[in-house]
This record gives sequence, structure tokens and C-alpha cells, in this order.
Amino acid sequence: MSVIAPKFRLGYLIKGITDNIFWIIVLMTLIGIPVVQIVLIYIDFPVIDGEIWNPFRVFDAMTHPERALPLVKNFMQTDLFKIVAFPGFGFAALIAAAVIFVERKMLAKLQLRVGPFYCGKVEGILQLMGDGLKLISKEIIIPAKADKPIFWAVPVLFAATAGAFVALIPVAPGWVVADIDLGLLAVFAVIGFFPIITVLAGWSSNSKFPFIGGIRALYQMVSFEIPLILSLLGIVMLTGTLNLSEIVESQVNFPWIIFMPIGAIVFFICILAELERIPFDLPEAESEIVAGWLTELSGMMYGLVQLGSYLKLYAFAGLFVVLFLGGWNGPWVFPIEPIAEVITDGIVIMPDALVIKDIPGLPLFAGEMINGTIWFVLKTAAVIFFILLPRGVFPRVRIDLLLKIGWYKLIVLAFVNIFIALALVYSGIIGPGGIM
Amino acid sequence: MVDALFLGIAVLTIVSAIAALEMRSLIYGGLALMGTLGGIAGFFILLDSPFVALFQIAVYVGSIAVLILFVIMLVKSELIFQKKEDPKRRYAGIALMLILMICLGAVIFNSGLSSITTEEPPVDYKEIGEDFLIYYWPALIAMALVLAGSITGALILARRQDAVEDEQRTD
Repeated sequence: MSVIAPKFRLGYLIKGITDNIFWIIVLMTLIGIPVVQIVLIYIDFPVIDGEIWNPFRVFDAMTHPERALPLVKNFMQTDLFKIVAFPGFGFAALIAAAVIFVERKMLAKLQLRVGPFYCGKVEGILQLMGDGLKLISKEIIIPAKADKPIFWAVPVLFAATAGAFVALIPVAPGWVVADIDLGLLAVFAVIGFFPIITVLAGWSSNSKFPFIGGIRALYQMVSFEIPLILSLLGIVMLTGTLNLSEIVESQVNFPWIIFMPIGAIVFFICILAELERIPFDLPEAESEIVAGWLTELSGMMYGLVQLGSYLKLYAFAGLFVVLFLGGWNGPWVFPIEPIAEVITDGIVIMPDALVIKDIPGLPLFAGEMINGTIWFVLKTAAVIFFILLPRGVFPRVRIDLLLKIGWYKLIVLAFVNIFIALALVYSGIIGPGGIM
Repeated sequence: MVDALFLGIAVLTIVSAIAALEMRSLIYGGLALMGTLGGIAGFFILLDSPFVALFQIAVYVGSIAVLILFVIMLVKSELIFQKKEDPKRRYAGIALMLILMICLGAVIFNSGLSSITTEEPPVDYKEIGEDFLIYYWPALIAMALVLAGSITGALILARRQDAVEDEQRTD
């Protein structure tokens, strides 16, 4: 184990921290507090219920659960919260980060290696943080003859498109960022942007390997989009809707994978190809063309593309769960049904007899939402595991074999799936008049 | 709100269409073309037909523009396009476009189209699909046959002549 910082001494670190704290305190007392006092003189405070609301009273109210909890609950219903935190970016980025770490560790175990080990003492659990800090602190190098506007725009566009994809995935009943009637079509429209971005990344860096990788990515993604779309048409025929939330609600009794295993298999293979994962990782083939279309990206630009590609992985796995595995539907596991006395009398949580049932805004989450989220995350984790698994097992396929699989085999299988769906509808088993 | 959106999308569409024609760099021209097609998708959304808008994005921006970019990148542009800097042509083109726009505008304004007001809800795409399958099925089948014929023709045209080399390839 090499020494990372040879001149490091704990005493210097503590001295630096205490120095900083000292100067912060001095500056706050000399400048910060007088400025705040002067500002407070000139502000007219609102009068609510006959009381003047100064900042101290506001802080008091915010720390009091009776007033803070409704505020928090109200904030959780806003679009901002949905986009930034729960079903949107924050949730997906958390899962993506977990996936990056689990992938490295799992591949290492599959290949009888150790994997990330030293960062954070326990099984390298802080490795991801270390990688992130390294990427942020690195210099962004742009090739001399690169097309600068496009080159700068590519990582941002990639992460933004992946975020748009994430926004369409329903996680729990009512918890989806963009609940539109044509959700599945919107998914197809968003997927269509990825090949453009990758080929632009390859072209704009003005280098051989990225260009080859970009062209390969374009071939691969465009040819696998067709079986991907066709394999989902069967579900649209059976459910009669394109809204992803309604598709999930239609699977209360059984997931669609029971009736359409062929479609699920075709869709899964297409996911692997769209995500450029082994065995279809030709655009990034590290033993042939360095890193494919990512070769010239450095520093946080590379970090953004990685974040985008793992967000995309989460979104595809979530789409598989939503369409084939029943989304948030599952047996009731959490929270356990409350006892009747708790509902009527509440729980005393403070010496002053502050009772839970008196506090507006509790419970913070509906039980359905927690239960649905648990099932969705479990199923998504299972699908992500199966997406990661081939990387430890399979070699890379040749490009002509890849295209042959896509055009000759998967499209035919997708049509077989469509005919199965048609047979189910016309025989009256499922659909209007059937058991649905 | 809708007016501001309409104006914004209209400006985006027209400016990127002009840019698609005038850009020296073919790649940027292709990107500007994508902007134009995306702007047209925005018009469809304003017209309460998101189905058409999403297909516009999926097909035109996602596939046609990709094909155009692909062709631009694979082919050396100097071999196809010879630059002809002729100001007369440009002015003639602008004049022709203006005349065309004025004629079309006159026709549209005189047709009484601008005075139509309707309170009916937007047509559901499901109804359009049912109409296609019930009343207009001959047209649908004719369309399918034409498309199948054109695909077959394209396959025949694109067939490789060097069959010997084809046999030597191993799968």
C-alpha cells in the first residue's frame, strides 16, 4: 500500500481546522452580526395572529413539529421536490452511485479479486467518494483541434437526456415527475437523442478512437431501437394505454412477463445494447479503441458522462420493472398496519404530552408510497444485477454479429411477441371482455 | 403564455432553418436542422396533439437527423459540394421565397381560416386510430403495400454485387 500523502501530519490538519474556525468566529462577530442587526432594523415584519413575526419566532416555529411538519409535507408535494429529490434526480443518482460501487465489488468477487479495498477501511466503501473527488479535482483537457462548443455541450446534454429519461419512470403511486398520457412514446423520443449525442461526442473530439467509437455507438443504438420499440408494443396492445402509471396499475394481479416472456427477453437484450454494456460494449471497447467515444473526455466531463450512463441504466431497469415486473405492486410489507389504539390515542413522544395524532402532517409518507417504493427498488435492484452480471461472464461480440442479432433475430422475435399479444386479445383471454 | 411560447418556437424554428441553409459547417447545419424539426414538434404540442409531436421527435429528430449527420460524417464534403459563391442566386432565392410567402399568406388570410373559432376538445389519437382501422382501412393497406414495395426496391437496389466476397465471410 503506497503512501498517499507523505508529508501528512495530524497535528497540521487540526491546526488548520482550528485556524479556520478562529477566523470564521472573528469575522462573524466583527462583520456578520452587525450587518444582520442593521438589516433587521429596516425590515417590516409581518403580523400574524396579532404577533409580530421576527426571524427568531420563525426559527422557533420551524423547529416546532406542529408547524414544521406541514411545511415539510407541503414542500414534498411540489414539483421542485419531485424533480430534485425523490422520484427524480436525487433518488436516481443515489441508486446510480450505489450501482457503480456494487458493480466494481461484484465483478471483483466474480473474478476472485478483492476490488476496492483501502478507501474507508471497511471493504473500500468510500471508494466512490474518492473517485468523485479525484474527478472534480482533475484538469479538463480539451484536444487542440476539437470542436469546442459541441465538445463542451456533450457531457451536459448526455446527463440532461438521461435525467429526462429518469423523469418518466413512475416509482410509487402518484410519485412520478412527468405523468403524461403518452409516457411510452416519450421514452422512445428521449432514447432517440442518445445516438446523436454519442456520435457528436466522437466527432467533436477530432480524434480517431472516439470517432470509431461514436460510429459504432450510432450503428448499435439505431439498430437496437427498432426491436426495443417493437418488443413493447405487445404490452400497449394488452393494456390499451401508453401511460406508464396506468400500465403499472394494470398489473395488480400478475406481471406481464408471465404472458410475454419473449418480449421481456428481447427488451432485456436491447437494454444491454442501448447501454453499451458487455457483451455489446463495442463503442467503449477498451482493448481495441482505448475508451471509445469517451477517450478524450477528462475530469468532470467524464464524470458527467458516467453519471449520465448510470442514470440511463437505472432508468432502463426501472422501465423493465414498470412494463414487465409490475412496478410498485407487491405484498404489503411496510409499514405494518397500526394498532387501533395508536390511531385513536396517538403516541406520547415528549414529556409535555405531545401526541402524534395531534400533530398535523403526520404520517409524513402514505403507507402505499413506502410499500410501493420498497418493491420498486427491490425489483429494480434485481434487474440491475442481471444487467451487470454479463460483464463478469461474457466476452465482447463482433460488430457484424451484433447487427445480425439485432436485425435478423430480435426483430423477428419481437414480431412473434406481438402476435402472441394479438392472439391473447382476440381470443378474449386478456383485454376487453377477458379477465382484465 | 401561449402567444409567447408560439413566438419563441416560431423564432427558434425560422432562425435554425436559416442557419441550416447558411452555416458553412455541415455538422452545425445538421444540428440546426434538428432545431427546426424540434420546433415543429413544439408547434404540434401547442396544437394539442402530443402524439404527433412525440413521433416528430422520435422519427425526424431521432432518426432522420441522425442519418443526415451520419452521411455528413462519412462522406468527404468537398467531393460532393462545390461552393458557388454567387450573390445573384442568393438574392433571387430570397425574392422567390418572399413572393411565395406573400402568395401563401394571401391565400390563407382570404380563406377565412383565421376567423374560425372552435370550442371542441382536441381529437383523441385513439379515435384517429379507430377511424383508420374501420373507415379508412383500404387507404391503410394501400399505404402498407407502397411502403413494403419501396423497402423491397431499396433492398434490391442496395444488394451487393460482389457475391463471391460475401460467401467468403464467416459467421
